[in-house]
Amino acid sequence: MTISTTPVPEPVVADRPPEPVRRPARHARLREWWLGAALVLPALALAVAFKLVPLGRGVATSLESSSGFDGTSFAGADNYVRMFDDPVVRSSFRNALLVVATLPVWVVLPLVLAVLIHQQAPGWKFFRAVYFIPYTVAPIVVGIMFRQILAPDGPINALLRRVGLEPLAIEWLNGRYSALFSLVAVALWSFFGLGVMTYLAGLATIPGETLEAAYLDGAGFWRRLFHVVVPMLRPTVAYWSVLCASGVLIWLFPLIYALTQGGPGDATMLPEYLVFLTTFQFLDRGYGSAIGIALFVFVAVLSIFSVRHMFTEGTRKPR
Amino acid sequence: MNRRRLAGLFAAGVAAAALLTGCGGDDNTTDGPVTLKVLTWEPGGAEYWKQVKTSFEAGHPDIKLELQSVPFDKYPEVQGPYITSQSGPDVMANNAGLELFDRRSAYVPLGARAAEINKDLVTYSGACEGFDTSKPCYGVPFSYQGNVLYYNKAVLTAAGLDPERPPTTWEEFGAACDAVKKSGKTCLALGLSGVFPAYWDFPEIARSYLTEDDIRGLLAGTLSWKDPKLVSVLGKLAEISTKGWTNKNAPSITMLPDGADIFQRGDAAFAGTIISDAVNWEAFGKALGDDKLGVTRWPAVNPGAPLAQKFSGIEGAVYGVTQWSEKKEAGLTFISWLAGKENGELWVKHAKGQPLNKNVDKALLPSSPAFQKIQELVAQPTLHAGVMLSGPEADALARGWQQVALGQLTVDKWADQMQQALERSPTKKQSK
Repeated sequence: MTISTTPVPEPVVADRPPEPVRRPARHARLREWWLGAALVLPALALAVAFKLVPLGRGVATSLESSSGFDGTSFAGADNYVRMFDDPVVRSSFRNALLVVATLPVWVVLPLVLAVLIHQQAPGWKFFRAVYFIPYTVAPIVVGIMFRQILAPDGPINALLRRVGLEPLAIEWLNGRYSALFSLVAVALWSFFGLGVMTYLAGLATIPGETLEAAYLDGAGFWRRLFHVVVPMLRPTVAYWSVLCASGVLIWLFPLIYALTQGGPGDATMLPEYLVFLTTFQFLDRGYGSAIGIALFVFVAVLSIFSVRHMFTEGTRKPR
Repeated sequence: MNRRRLAGLFAAGVAAAALLTGCGGDDNTTDGPVTLKVLTWEPGGAEYWKQVKTSFEAGHPDIKLELQSVPFDKYPEVQGPYITSQSGPDVMANNAGLELFDRRSAYVPLGARAAEINKDLVTYSGACEGFDTSKPCYGVPFSYQGNVLYYNKAVLTAAGLDPERPPTTWEEFGAACDAVKKSGKTCLALGLSGVFPAYWDFPEIARSYLTEDDIRGLLAGTLSWKDPKLVSVLGKLAEISTKGWTNKNAPSITMLPDGADIFQRGDAAFAGTIISDAVNWEAFGKALGDDKLGVTRWPAVNPGAPLAQKFSGIEGAVYGVTQWSEKKEAGLTFISWLAGKENGELWVKHAKGQPLNKNVDKALLPSSPAFQKIQELVAQPTLHAGVMLSGPEADALARGWQQVALGQLTVDKWADQMQQALERSPTKKQSK
């Protein structure tokens, strides 16, 4: 290997390039604006066509009065005023609030099960598959299935009677509150598998050493769950919470349809089912749309809190 | 050069597409047979509709039928969006009465042709506004429908009752129910979820309290649900469940299929259903045996009431041509055929239903004792109060009954809810 001692020639200093012709800044900004607009336009067009236009149409219909399938007339806020006096609407939103009150179960139960699977509790492979299977069954089929299972003389009550728990063998779908909570329980059975999978995806991002260190330090299951897993899984928990908060109000239609049709009375009547009944069975499109818009606002308000919380969590700097 | 070729190909493609589009629209411009889309819940069963398609197409080679079959209890949900969007099938069905009137904007009025098309039918007023054939008619019925009380003779015998003398009064019915209950069976198979209670049970009690004028008032929305007559009807409906005459799970099941299944299995003495289409004498006869099946009028609460000994009858499904169809002539040909003798005979032969066409060969009529008994009952028809109820009323009737059965509602509150439902009914709004 030789080392050249030849002095390195002085770099040729290139002639200074000519000063670029300074285009007016306004022109550049305009070009940038057009480029930005062109890139955003397709997404904007889709959002307008498939989100804003139907929503606007829904709002417009909610301001109309219709008689069967005949023509419509402008009704102003009549449909909205009518809702305040309608006991069925009031009852449906009261039921919606009761359903929302079950959210902690929707959030915590799949989390606990996901952690058990993640730490490879005995039979974890089996349970991982089993928990997800209900989610793959069509909700309408789930509804039909549970209508038989929850019948007064159905298998659940037969089992309860056999094991000596006769007082618990109630008429699940006939009670004012038992019907609603049976509906929620069936929905939870049907959807919690998705929550387990979501949490498992989040758990995969937690370093194994962290959990192992907590274990070696003597932290029990619940301590590890609430002091290690939950803090590290906050974005996933928040995401699942948002999904559940809006989902419990707009996912349940097929189950209500197959299981209770909103009954007995209006015990399981939720706003989404009432929109359907009012619009397509009672042929009162304006009023049905008004209830739909009220539901939209209800879900939006509920989701705003969760999304805001999720955003705060997601952008919080680590301590 | 290439650009020119591409442009030429594009132009040719556009021209071909335009030509094809032009050919697809109107039945007058097609070369091949016109395809008619028919929305139906297949009243009478799949076999009957298979025969309809075969026979009609054989006689009309220029028209093909494409049947969109939807279960009866799902039908409104499928049909509603078609009507709202003013698109879909060329021919659709609705139950005669208010259900059809509510949807009349979806159908082409038959005008002066209604009388000609329906000339051989016993009645077709249920297809016309206000049950008045001088007003616009929107379609063609071909079957007769209505309510009766079927009973299982074996269950009555086991309960120590005479199967040849079923109860005719409310008191006798109560006594029979007590006996049946003691024998370990359900007295009246019932499902209160959905609209069936409104169509199948309500009119039968209503006959003991209402006159035909009252029933027309129900249709017009001028008869208040707080009227003592209607409150009494609700009171008697409530009694059926509060006195324990029904199956325990009645509030949470539907009448079709769940309630009817209880009767078909032989677990109940009585079932209040219909004479045609489904859950009728034919289906029950097959399940229980023709010799075990009895049929009677619902027991009268007030046997002397003007309509107490009548039959709540109504034309069955009415088929009409849709406003948005581009094949209206073909549609009219099809519904006219439905009203004819050929279809009447198919209806008797394959659906085992009650025909409306007067010219049907009597030799084809079934020999079942239950069917023969029905012929006696239908001879005294009156207006069917159930089909006068609007959607909100039918819904409130079933929901209220569920709550009354569960002890969550009083009859007076139920009447209040019914009145609210009447006031919510878009087609019954009274001008102030």
